[in-house]
Amino acid sequence: MQKLEFFLRRLGTSLFVLIGVSVITFFLARVVPANPAALYIGPKARAEDIERVTKLLGLDKPLPIQYAIYMQELFRGDMGTSISTKRPITEELAGRIPATLELLFSGMFIATIIGVPLGVLSARWQGKPIDVGVRVLSIIGVSMPAFFLGLIFQIVFFRNLDILPLAGRVDSDLRFSNPLTEITNFILIDSLLTLNWVTLKDAFLHLVLPSLTLAAYPIGLIARMTRATMLEVFEQDYIRTARAYGIRQYVVIYLYALKNAISPTLTVIGLTFAFALTGTFFVEILFNWPGLGLFTVRSLLNLDYPAIMGMTLFGASGYVLINLVVDLLQAWIDPRVSLN
Amino acid sequence: MKRNLFILSLFVLLTLIATACGPAAPATDAPAAETEAPVVTEEPAPTEAPAAGPIVLKYASAANITTWDPIASFSTEAAYMANMYEQLLRVNPPGSAEEFTPLLAESWEKSEDGLVWTFHLRDGVKFHDGEPMNADAVKKSIDAAKDHAGASFIWLPLASVDVVDDLTVTFTLSYAQPLELIVGSEYAAYIVSPKALDAAAADENYWSAGLSAGTGPYMIESYTADQELVLTQNTEYWGGWEEGQYEKVLVTFVPEATTRQQLLEGGEVDLVTSVPADSFASFAENPDYTTSLEPALFNYTAFFNTLKAPLDDVKVRQALSYAIPYEDIIALGANGRGTQSRGTVPAGVFPYSEDVPQYTYDIEKAKTLLKEAGHEGGGFSLRLTYASENATEETFAPLIKDSFAQIGVEVTIEALEFTQQWELAKTDPATAQDIFLLLYWPTYSDAGADNMYSMFYGGAEAPYLNVTKFNLSYWKNDQYNALMDEAGPLSGTDVEASRAKYTEAQKLLVEEAPAAFLFDTMVAFVNPNHVEGFQYNLNYPDVRYWFYELRPVQ
Amino acid sequence: MTAIPILPASESASRRTVRHVLAVIMRDPLSFASTAIIVLFIFMAIFSYQIAPYPEEGAGKTHASNTLLPPSADHWFGTDKLGRDIVSRIIMGARPALIIPIGVVLFAVLIGAPLGALAGYKGGWLDEVIMRITDLFLAFPSLLLAMAIASALGRGLDKAAIALIISWWPWYTRIARGVTISLKERYFVEAAQAIGVSDLVIIFRHILPNTISPILVQATVDLGTVILAMGGLAFLGLGTQPPSPDWGLMVSDGRTYILDQWWIATFPGLAIFIVVLAFNLIGDTLRDIFDPRQYK
Repeated sequence: MQKLEFFLRRLGTSLFVLIGVSVITFFLARVVPANPAALYIGPKARAEDIERVTKLLGLDKPLPIQYAIYMQELFRGDMGTSISTKRPITEELAGRIPATLELLFSGMFIATIIGVPLGVLSARWQGKPIDVGVRVLSIIGVSMPAFFLGLIFQIVFFRNLDILPLAGRVDSDLRFSNPLTEITNFILIDSLLTLNWVTLKDAFLHLVLPSLTLAAYPIGLIARMTRATMLEVFEQDYIRTARAYGIRQYVVIYLYALKNAISPTLTVIGLTFAFALTGTFFVEILFNWPGLGLFTVRSLLNLDYPAIMGMTLFGASGYVLINLVVDLLQAWIDPRVSLN
Repeated sequence: MKRNLFILSLFVLLTLIATACGPAAPATDAPAAETEAPVVTEEPAPTEAPAAGPIVLKYASAANITTWDPIASFSTEAAYMANMYEQLLRVNPPGSAEEFTPLLAESWEKSEDGLVWTFHLRDGVKFHDGEPMNADAVKKSIDAAKDHAGASFIWLPLASVDVVDDLTVTFTLSYAQPLELIVGSEYAAYIVSPKALDAAAADENYWSAGLSAGTGPYMIESYTADQELVLTQNTEYWGGWEEGQYEKVLVTFVPEATTRQQLLEGGEVDLVTSVPADSFASFAENPDYTTSLEPALFNYTAFFNTLKAPLDDVKVRQALSYAIPYEDIIALGANGRGTQSRGTVPAGVFPYSEDVPQYTYDIEKAKTLLKEAGHEGGGFSLRLTYASENATEETFAPLIKDSFAQIGVEVTIEALEFTQQWELAKTDPATAQDIFLLLYWPTYSDAGADNMYSMFYGGAEAPYLNVTKFNLSYWKNDQYNALMDEAGPLSGTDVEASRAKYTEAQKLLVEEAPAAFLFDTMVAFVNPNHVEGFQYNLNYPDVRYWFYELRPVQ
Repeated sequence: MTAIPILPASESASRRTVRHVLAVIMRDPLSFASTAIIVLFIFMAIFSYQIAPYPEEGAGKTHASNTLLPPSADHWFGTDKLGRDIVSRIIMGARPALIIPIGVVLFAVLIGAPLGALAGYKGGWLDEVIMRITDLFLAFPSLLLAMAIASALGRGLDKAAIALIISWWPWYTRIARGVTISLKERYFVEAAQAIGVSDLVIIFRHILPNTISPILVQATVDLGTVILAMGGLAFLGLGTQPPSPDWGLMVSDGRTYILDQWWIATFPGLAIFIVVLAFNLIGDTLRDIFDPRQYK
């Protein structure tokens, strides 16, 4: 019962936050210092055309009413039409989500499989050179601007070594030699499902540099956090007891300690997701990755306010949702931690 | 919640599998490619030669799609539109034997006074959706364009379009104009299926998925925004098809010039919109490519705010015009791809004339003129705005600043999104910018009716913005306006007499210097030798390639 | 009433914290080296005009005949598209890339910390309102919010700075509130309340100074992130506008030339990396010892 109450309360707060977020986003997008109607129609428009578009976009109504209309449409699944592409925002976002998620998940996957072991090693040999090494490595990871790291990767692996592709999701050639049946729009999954090995390999190669660039920051965070939680766990009585009983040390570390460190590590991974989400902006630009980030940045520069609104709302909702999931998961795994 | 975790672990698992089986493959594969590479005797490009698949043209393009609506279209998507839609006729590049190529009109004639034009349409042409192309379709398309096209203003001279019979249509003008140039426009002149126009009128998102309803040689097969566009042959095309023409065109959108360069060099694509300026020279030396620099009808103008002191003084404006380092601007801002403008009419476009003078870069003369104007040693400061999305302006604006500093004029540079820059300019000249950098091009191939009118014809009242609101010098000169009033209608009946009047007006323009005329741009083409049939047509600046004309070299 | 002996004197409390922090930094060789690097860069930013070999080019003056020169004795890091010396551009770019982020964090602390102290001290509906507002701001990924604000305000260094302040202050509100709640029950605050010291005086004289240590640590940790964010905004075109120098902007400019003129993007990128690394190394040491996150 207590659990259910916690869930409901947590859901309630999230809902409140989302509504607030929509208000902030809406007004933020509307102070954009340019006439959206003029943007919509392009530079050589006549005054009467601008007037027509102003009406069409509902910009002649007072702001609160515009907001009400926007929310009403939003609940019907309509986020308006992009000024620069003239396509529905929902379509624009939906078409780009798979690309971004593919990048995000593989980046986070790399970060996790590298970050967690590094953190464990570091904790196991606390204060030893290996710990210092991991520390410096982690800090380098979080200090490297993604837009610079990606550039270096491109210079090294494309220009100098020529072993990895420069940009894009998959070679355009493959469209005809090995056409891919689109099922989920995740190239890796689709090519796996349809046993299209050539495309799978190519998509994988294209994914390497962007994911590594994206992973650098989370690797550092995850390693540091894993180390910290492992150290805490080591201090707890039952681990000491286990050690005293002479259970071989690696069993202690990997079974007992890691199991107890899972919950906080999960939190970190969840939160790092959000950091990685903004990281994708830079990575997508550098690698011409046709995802949300590329779209967002272009919209920001073009002052495409419906797109900015849609994307900010989407990003914030995703963030709130991840936080919610992390909290709930945590409560589920370890009820003692979060119920208060 | 459990579901979320499940999905999460599913992804992790899938990525794990991909990671596990991935690295092995490239490791065995890549070195093979590496060792083969140095043997450069053979052209690497046509790898998919085994005939089974369609003949595909691969194009890495920087041109975005802002709309698939052929009426509204007024931007870079013209690159593809022009391959799917047709006008009544096409304007040929300067120097061609014939001035025009008939497309949907087989022939046409005009009345003595140049006001009534009769077009005889091609028989048996069908739109992509199967509808017949006829006089009704033409009337409906042009009416729609006049009503709500992105470039609807090009139809200002048009009074009415009338259907005479199924294949004959007349255009009646309210004042004489060279109508061929208008019906041949890159924008707002396509003939579109009436069925599609009706559907689009009922549903504003009709076009957004990406469909085509023209008469042109290609149609849209699929479109994924920001990723790719596939065009396929319109097998019913009236022009017919030959063996060896491209059956499909695969366009991938690649905004980064560096990436396009790599794709082209790697043979992964056949064509690109452009490569980074500094890689152009290496392509020029490569025997596998043919490069060319062609004049484009874009030009850069720096408007002076003539309503504000000290720019209200013609001497000051002339001084500044002498203080602009034209050569450096072209060399650095445009990587040498440009020529100093002669007035506002770009080279190669009516009514361009070699008789229009240019300012030279002459700091001493500029100083003398400033002194004569009572501003010895400068001592004033100016606010310059440019469009932040324009990398060329971003590059050359500092050159103007540094050069003006030499005559004691301080410039503050301000980057604004174009619409903002323009809003600022239109609100109140007293608080607006002093210098406005603008990239401009005539909407259709008549810079007299467009550039000379749009940018310099003073409207009735201060700040003299005319209907186009591009008179960003806020300049009004009665003599200039009078010359323009004569030259415009004359262009519909006597082209050379009209050109002479326009030239007179341009001389006045340069003398009065309401703006500095910086440079006309050039476009650079890098074409691999395994594709032939390139035709450059200055009149259609956004259309770099006519896919129908191209053939793979066997 | 300022002379109540049982209240710890605020000035000495904060001074003690600062001294403690400094001691921690001096003990750790990495932190010490990092501090030296940061001091060097700040020195560079302040005296940029005196240090830069070509200060005018650093500020944006073009040199048409020197375009795209590779590194040499005259131009250690080469020149860019407009012939400007990259060493000078980096030195002059230290102000927007380094000093402005420091200002951003400072302002965010000045806004966030008093609000947090107020919320924690007063509790009740005021606490609720303030914390719900911070929740709202924290609901956005910081950089996304900053990008949206920066684009709404219009491009420019000042606007980017404001956008970052708006995105960052809530973090300090949270910390200050956490510390305040833990202090509230302590004897000296109760004693002060008992003898009728006004709330404002309690907050500003007795509570805020005690929040300095965790906030200082958090601010140091954040500085690296804010510098990265600032560089990111500039890289995207939403920060410093050309021809002014800025590291993020220089990386973005140099991107067109990475295949042939690698130096244009590489050196400013390294500058960002080194500075951020230095801040993060210090922040990491401080966090190990103080751990400000316990208050969140």
